[in-house]
Amino acid sequence: MPEATFRIKRHNPEKLDDQNGTGDDRYDDFTVPYESSLTVLEGLFYIQENLDGSLSFRYCCRAAVCGSCAMYINGTYRLACQTNVRHLDDGPITVEPMPHMPVVKDLVCDMTDFFAKYETVMPHIIRNSAPPEKEIIQSPEDRKKLDMPVDCILCGSCYSSCPSVWGEGNYLGPAALLKAYRFEVDSRDEARKERLPRFDNERGSYRCHTITNCVEACPKELNPTEAIQWLKGAAVRRRLLGRAK
Amino acid sequence: MRQGVIEENAGGMWLWLLQRLTAVVLIVGLAVHIVATHVLNLGELSYDNVAGRLAMPLFVVVDFALLGAGIFHALNGLRMVLLDYGFSGRSKTMLSWGLFVFGVAAFGYGAWALWPWLTA
Repeated sequence: MPEATFRIKRHNPEKLDDQNGTGDDRYDDFTVPYESSLTVLEGLFYIQENLDGSLSFRYCCRAAVCGSCAMYINGTYRLACQTNVRHLDDGPITVEPMPHMPVVKDLVCDMTDFFAKYETVMPHIIRNSAPPEKEIIQSPEDRKKLDMPVDCILCGSCYSSCPSVWGEGNYLGPAALLKAYRFEVDSRDEARKERLPRFDNERGSYRCHTITNCVEACPKELNPTEAIQWLKGAAVRRRLLGRAK
Repeated sequence: MRQGVIEENAGGMWLWLLQRLTAVVLIVGLAVHIVATHVLNLGELSYDNVAGRLAMPLFVVVDFALLGAGIFHALNGLRMVLLDYGFSGRSKTMLSWGLFVFGVAAFGYGAWALWPWLTA
């Protein structure tokens, strides 16, 4: 049976106090039996079950909808469950945690800041009027505006790839701002002053320098940069022109 | 994220909007400048000829607009770059005021150079 080599970046938090204080960072090579349908996530399962039970990684749905298994595979942000080994270049498959993120262990990143910023933009529909008797009606045209932003699965690839995030720990980052956009363009949302000051500030939309790393990184092929530019315009429309939305 | 971070960094819309507007002024102004000086034949290249043109009210207005737009655009752009290097709270306020004072001084120096044409 053909084989594939997985070269995995390891980090052990229990060894942070050793001589060099790096958490024993190193790359381990593992040989995994290869079938044409093998995904990177299945390869990681094989390693964990048969070769090294101490390997840590996150996963959940295995269908590219939960966003848990975003990793840096062969130098590109990918979802491990969605990445077929046969689509990767020949040679060892390098699997690393998302760069520029604090690592908990091996391939597991610390997402605390990421989700704290996500909550900052109030990622839910805000209603100020009395609830209707039945559902809140939305036209197909208005629903179409949500097609792009609703596909975000909060994997953190854009956030990890954004140089503005690397430089400024308080910057909301592309994922949280894309989520703000998702609710700002929603015709059912009635937020007036609640959400606006949370993204319309110098650690929000104005810290985006349109580097577009997030667009390249996104495994769902979304466009956070464009959404952030829309938010900048929305602030002008609402604060200066007095538009409700 | 703690609430204080939002309040400390409130605003930014005006600076962003002015950065865009001054960019338009600079692009249009530079285009007109290049066309006027290199493509159109505006007469002999002599001191009297150029001085006469600079004293025209339209050129005085355009020159002051370009001076202000250029200084604002440059210093605000510099501020955006510098903010990526960890300025926050007090150091951010000092940076903003420092650049503001420098900008006013630069505008004053530029206005001093343009003044003879204004009073000519």
